[in-house]
Amino acid sequence: MRRAPWILVALIAAIVLPPLIGRSALLSDTNALLLCRGCVMALAGLSLNLLMGYAGQVSLGQFAFVGVGAFTLAHVTGVTDLRLPWVVGMLASAALGAVVAFLVGLPALRLRGLYLAIVTIGVVYACSESLFIAQGIGGGSAGKVVPPPYVAADAISRNCDLLAVGLVLLVVMWHLDTNLTRSRLGRAFHAVKADERVAASFGIDVASYKLLAFVLSGAVAGLAGGFFGTTIGTVQAASFTYADSLGLVVIVVVGGLGSRPGVVGVAFGTTVLPSLLVTLFGSGIRGYDLIFNAAVLVYTITRNPTGIAGAIREARTKALERRGGEPPLPPTRPNLPSLGRPSALPAPRRAAAGQPVLAVRDIGVRFGGLRAVDGASITVDRGTIVGLMGPNGAGKTTLFNAITGALRPDSGTVTFLGEDVSHLPTHLRAARGMGRTFQLIGLAKDQSVYENLLIAQHLAAPYSVGSALSGLGASRALEREIRSRADQTIEGLGFERFASTPVGKLSHGQQRIVEIGCCLVTSPELVMLDEPSAGMSPAASEDLALTLQDVRDKLGRTVLLIEHNVPLVLGVADELYVMAAGEVIANGEPLDVVTRPEVVTAYLGSSYEEALK
Amino acid sequence: MGQVLVFGLISGGIYGLFALGVVMVFRGTGVLSFAQGEIGTAALYVAAYLINDQGLPWVVGALGALVFGIGVGVLFELLVVRRMIGADPVSTAVATVGLLLLITTIEIQYAGSTLISVRGPISQHFAVFGVEVTGTQVLGVLLALALGFGLQSLLRRTDFGLGILAAAQDPTAVRLVGVPLSRVSATVWGAGAALSVIAALLVEPGIGVFAPGFASQLYLVGLAAAVIGGLTSLPGAVIGGLALGLVEAAANKWFGQSGVHGLRYVVVLIVLLVVLVGRQLLPELRARFDTRAEAVA
Repeated sequence: MRRAPWILVALIAAIVLPPLIGRSALLSDTNALLLCRGCVMALAGLSLNLLMGYAGQVSLGQFAFVGVGAFTLAHVTGVTDLRLPWVVGMLASAALGAVVAFLVGLPALRLRGLYLAIVTIGVVYACSESLFIAQGIGGGSAGKVVPPPYVAADAISRNCDLLAVGLVLLVVMWHLDTNLTRSRLGRAFHAVKADERVAASFGIDVASYKLLAFVLSGAVAGLAGGFFGTTIGTVQAASFTYADSLGLVVIVVVGGLGSRPGVVGVAFGTTVLPSLLVTLFGSGIRGYDLIFNAAVLVYTITRNPTGIAGAIREARTKALERRGGEPPLPPTRPNLPSLGRPSALPAPRRAAAGQPVLAVRDIGVRFGGLRAVDGASITVDRGTIVGLMGPNGAGKTTLFNAITGALRPDSGTVTFLGEDVSHLPTHLRAARGMGRTFQLIGLAKDQSVYENLLIAQHLAAPYSVGSALSGLGASRALEREIRSRADQTIEGLGFERFASTPVGKLSHGQQRIVEIGCCLVTSPELVMLDEPSAGMSPAASEDLALTLQDVRDKLGRTVLLIEHNVPLVLGVADELYVMAAGEVIANGEPLDVVTRPEVVTAYLGSSYEEALK
Repeated sequence: MGQVLVFGLISGGIYGLFALGVVMVFRGTGVLSFAQGEIGTAALYVAAYLINDQGLPWVVGALGALVFGIGVGVLFELLVVRRMIGADPVSTAVATVGLLLLITTIEIQYAGSTLISVRGPISQHFAVFGVEVTGTQVLGVLLALALGFGLQSLLRRTDFGLGILAAAQDPTAVRLVGVPLSRVSATVWGAGAALSVIAALLVEPGIGVFAPGFASQLYLVGLAAAVIGGLTSLPGAVIGGLALGLVEAAANKWFGQSGVHGLRYVVVLIVLLVVLVGRQLLPELRARFDTRAEAVA
């Protein structure tokens, strides 16, 4: 396993570093304190990176959580307060940071992007200007005193020793963060960041994962605050302001959103830079480093929004491409692997004999005054391909969204495998075996083909948060299983050379095949495809028809298909529904349905019919 | 009561002016700027230099500050915003954070934490509801109201003005009418900066002194006011600003003596959360009520 060395490194660091740093003549007390500050910024940077880089939730007030951690430690360990051991205080810092972040995360369920950013500014101001100044919480203008941590009866008070503590903390957090990104948590965060609707279609509970991102981020920020308090001895509100939070945003964006080494590197770099410059150029330079930092931020975000880490990654891919040349195109006729039901998923409900897989009754969806779907009913029988056609704006995709739960219909019921799922959210319908694709490709485009296949198997690896972070327990076997399924799928699709290519760099047709692969990788009972042939060449569409037949005949799945490509639908569909202006106007044998006058009229208008007469 | 009203309107007018700048930039380019307020502080340093150090009349100093502020806004648009067209709005917002840090750090380098003051245009005092107010403060409120309720109809008169109002929402339509988007973008960034400079020039005399970061703090309340007003409505921005000013003044009157610090920020946060989350919940509640009513019928 690739994970074992990290635990070892953390252990070795814990044992070896303290005496090593303590005896090092190079490290003066001042420099050690500076590096301690670097540890604080690195930890806080990791916390913001988790929230913003992984889960895509913008926080411009991260130092509110850091402050909560610092003041918590002061209260728990303080001589005039609870006087508990330092370790307990640090745990409390993490816990309270998590709680406060959870509270801030609650409105985030409702707000996105910039609105959330504004709320976090409000939070950090309310904390630094009010909460942390209050006598009972922040100790008034004097601040709160944090006693040094004790080992046996000896106080760890020298900065060199504290630095060792900070580095151990950082190594442990780095390790946990690495595990996080390799687990279902990290993948779910990425999916939520990329597209919430797509995430839900893979069975990811978007609201819970957003809150989880806040909680974990708050815990790490709380620890950073606790360590900060430990190193400076007295914590004051002035250390946890909006400006500090913005400084952290600089670190994370310049380092590269989502990049651990980038964030930690820039955190230490920006902390050490000022005194380095003073040593090199004399004290006249003081202050210019901040101007330099800000200029670098503006330049980075304008030129390369992925930061230093992104720039390095891009250069590396370019070099690889130059060496290897263009990889051969994958086939448009994939050989779909016949994967069984993932072991962690419960066996699907067997609908009673003769009962349809999907029964939709009288669905109505209103957008303001417009009736987008008006009393539509559809039945999909097991092992069939059912086509859904209709002119643009007929309400096909809206009906799809109502079936999957992406939107709440105003009326009607959806029965799936004999169970009424009308009131279930999307991710629970996905868990019952409802898979879908999107008109505009439902994948996390910045992630690789392989990662997308893992994201798609979110439900197949249902291990706990603890198992994900520690890399121990249930997660090992389950990860092995879904990774092998992903490998098999990639092989079947013929995408071996593209396994680590970001999906966004593939052609539209290739993305579509990956999307279908992702939809099938958990072997859902019902596969709902929204215009899969859109943007495909005629030859590729013919291959798609064969692929769809494979899905039905070889894999034994049931397919509901929205399609504009009439030859394709007539070629594969066992039954056809036609919608126009929100209503189902015809259904039955495909070849029979398309020749009915009402269908012809819907597509070509009434003048055509009159012309025929 | 009168005191709450007067103090509330005076600070609310300033928030409103900042909020107008937020809305202008948002409607013109779809970007939320975090830096705009601080352009006001930087311009105050220019005004202080011209008026205090060079002994020039207030009008000249104010014009100098205005030209400087507009210059910074337009320059940022040219160098950064224009290159980020099509980027995700959060990235562009982070770029404005960079500008904010850039301006603030340069200010700190230039002035340190020295407190400076600039006098206002009108120093006459009036008594309103028994509260002494200066002409400058009254000017701030009147200007906010006039711009909040007049700017929209003024802009509607020309194609270019309409372009400003519609650019972020429907850029293609604006281009088809023959209004160049790049000029719209440069104009709104200049206008947003100008509004910040005006607000800073009018509020500073009432507070007395300023230091780096001065206008940013007030601007953030303006940002909240713009969001409360719906982020796209010019009158809404001013109304949001006045509302926040009044609530803040009321909170100060009732809780000011209780020793709670930073009341302004707590008030703004609470109002912001109530409005934002409430606005999200309202349609859902209404829909739930409607379906229930239908079921009963």
